[in-house]
Amino acid sequence: MNLVIVLLIIGLLMIVAGCWCLMRTFHLLKMTIGIEVAMKAVTLFLVLAGRISGKIALSETFVITVMVAEVIVAVVGTGTAVGLFRKYGSMDVRNLKQLKG
Amino acid sequence: MTILSICAHGFIYGPILVVLIYNLFNHEFARKHFFWFAGTGAVWQILAAIGGFTALNQNGQTSYAFGAFWDIRLAGAAFFELNATRFLLLLIVGLVALISVLVAHQTVDFNRSSYTNLLMILVLGMNGMLLVTDLFSLYVFLEVTGLCCFIMIAMFRSRADLEGSFKYLILSELSGIFILTAIAFLMMKTGSLRYADLAGLGQRISAGSGQLEDLLVYAALILLISGFAIKTGVVPFHSWLPDAYQSADTAVSILLSGAVNKVAGVYGLMIVMQLFGDVAPVGPSLAAVGIISIIIGALLAVRQPQYKRVVAYSSVSQMGYILLALSTGTTLGLVAALAHILSHTAFKSTLFTNAAALQEQTGTLELKDLGGLENQMPVTAFTSIIAFLSTAGIPPTAGFWSKILIILALWQAGSPVLAGVALVAGILSSAYLIRLQRTVFFGQTRPELAKVREVRGSVLTAEVLLTVITLGLGLLYPYILLLLHAGGIL
Amino acid sequence: MNVIVYLGAGLMLLFGVYAVMEHSILRAAIGLALSSASLSVLLYVLGAHLAALFELSVCSGLVTVIFIAGISLSHSPKMEIQKEYRDKERNRLLPLVLIGVGLLLVILALTLNLQTPELAQLTQDDDVRDVLWGNRQADIWGQIALILCGGVAVAVLFREERREKK
Repeated sequence: MNLVIVLLIIGLLMIVAGCWCLMRTFHLLKMTIGIEVAMKAVTLFLVLAGRISGKIALSETFVITVMVAEVIVAVVGTGTAVGLFRKYGSMDVRNLKQLKG
Repeated sequence: MTILSICAHGFIYGPILVVLIYNLFNHEFARKHFFWFAGTGAVWQILAAIGGFTALNQNGQTSYAFGAFWDIRLAGAAFFELNATRFLLLLIVGLVALISVLVAHQTVDFNRSSYTNLLMILVLGMNGMLLVTDLFSLYVFLEVTGLCCFIMIAMFRSRADLEGSFKYLILSELSGIFILTAIAFLMMKTGSLRYADLAGLGQRISAGSGQLEDLLVYAALILLISGFAIKTGVVPFHSWLPDAYQSADTAVSILLSGAVNKVAGVYGLMIVMQLFGDVAPVGPSLAAVGIISIIIGALLAVRQPQYKRVVAYSSVSQMGYILLALSTGTTLGLVAALAHILSHTAFKSTLFTNAAALQEQTGTLELKDLGGLENQMPVTAFTSIIAFLSTAGIPPTAGFWSKILIILALWQAGSPVLAGVALVAGILSSAYLIRLQRTVFFGQTRPELAKVREVRGSVLTAEVLLTVITLGLGLLYPYILLLLHAGGIL
Repeated sequence: MNVIVYLGAGLMLLFGVYAVMEHSILRAAIGLALSSASLSVLLYVLGAHLAALFELSVCSGLVTVIFIAGISLSHSPKMEIQKEYRDKERNRLLPLVLIGVGLLLVILALTLNLQTPELAQLTQDDDVRDVLWGNRQADIWGQIALILCGGVAVAVLFREERREKK
């Protein structure tokens, strides 16, 4: 049990928490928050990978790019959720029943 | 500056230039003339793909590396690279963008300037995915592609649009998390993510070595395959796909089914297969996913109530064929997958264009409200029959030859059972196609549809263009088979 | 140093779980920001100094601003109560699941007894800025495309509706 294993386990637990949020919550914005929670763990993994392989500068550039993507995902997710709110007057996932086959 | 370098740089600069120039004009002008700007971008992409490929062949090179404004010889630099496979996929991107613009000319009435901007950024994202030689850059452009699609689906802002977009966003971001985790795990082992450094990783790892990194590489492969499978929309990761295709405006559905799920999903799996094909479970798992989605996709397509949903599930089924071809890992398998990608682009875009025509003329796509449109819309009925023949794999269409190639590739790779299943599953696809054609076009004309006329203008042009491509490829394929035979692949 | 790493990682997980379980969406967003701040401390200690700065300003700052903007745009009397979502009840099992999965992973790590890599020494050879602008320019094109995308997203998705489809 060294530092790497502990950080890996904590990261994996974080991803489990994020995926749990996607599955269980009824709130649209909360789902976007779930994605962001899982993304935190991924950021940690990338930096850890850089430290293990000795290429910390490379992984830092990865992390910076991932952050830009993360922000845009938050913008699009929030924008879509707000659009749905304007249609239904609530942020409930259970309203989404238009598409069925 | 050679022709090749102009074409190569054009794939990156072209879309950005169109976006910049387009936004210089005032809103009304831009709205009115969006067709010309977006069309120029698409036509430029097609010309650059054809011109670049010709130039590459004349130089006798197999690949051409370039950086968009930097020196590619820097140590560890991530550069762009072009080769024959990528040229074909770039051509498909250009073709699909052109068809989408032709359809959008009639179906999109507001949001035109956003449509143009997003289309060009989407093309840039897909070009980037196809050109990069680094797994992380692949992820970045994948994210660009995905985000453009979410916005394009959501921007029409009906309830269905927003719902489809949100479902797509959630699953797609899940796949993004998978892929990034896989990238981090791979980097722990190699310290670099360039394709050149990752190739042959299969020989350097072993499951029983007792090292954490080796175990993580196996985990990374599972994550990569499921991540790209979500993007492709194959069973069991298909739940977003029909919703997204049905809700989007038809011009956007064409982009999604014609280019995005091939470039973002299948091309990613192609890269995984190329880099890690020698690791034992990769090929068989692709084959398993492929065969399941061929059968389940076709079975689900039979009982859908809406035109675009049937076509979407048919897409799930056809993606299964492509994965099956890829899973062989041979050159013939790759050729067969590319051939089926090309013919799938042609016939699936035809079906979606027909959906646009039906939507424009009748105002509905619910199958229970449609019927007997054969006499009212003869061209649409005809193009739809050709597309169905191609989907079911009946000669002389392009789909027949690409399916034959897939079955040959499976046979050659030593899995006749899979080849047999693929052959038999073709019958299943005829089932839903016959149902669709019969309900929409054949039979008694419904009285409320008596005044419907054939669609005109750019949608009709798109239908005819795509049908010509399907039939033309079908007639050209024997020649391609001879070429393959001469090259020793077949 | 190790103490700070363990502390940062633990706090990150704790705030992340809080963000998932809290039923008030505003507090969940703040929990996410705190989780992000803990991560940035962690990144700093691990030697990714510039990334830590970005994590603090962009992820902890900007993303929270976006979520709060979303919350204020979707404000309604019904939202005050938040009872209909019942996140606390529905996510009650999450800590148990996490403890279970964590124990499983720990037992797995102990029984497999894998040969784990150590953290490599920090080298001062390559600078982040040189790597980003020198080697990773394909990513810069990607970032340009992402930012264009974000601009269009703000313009299209947050706009008040004037005309709409059916």
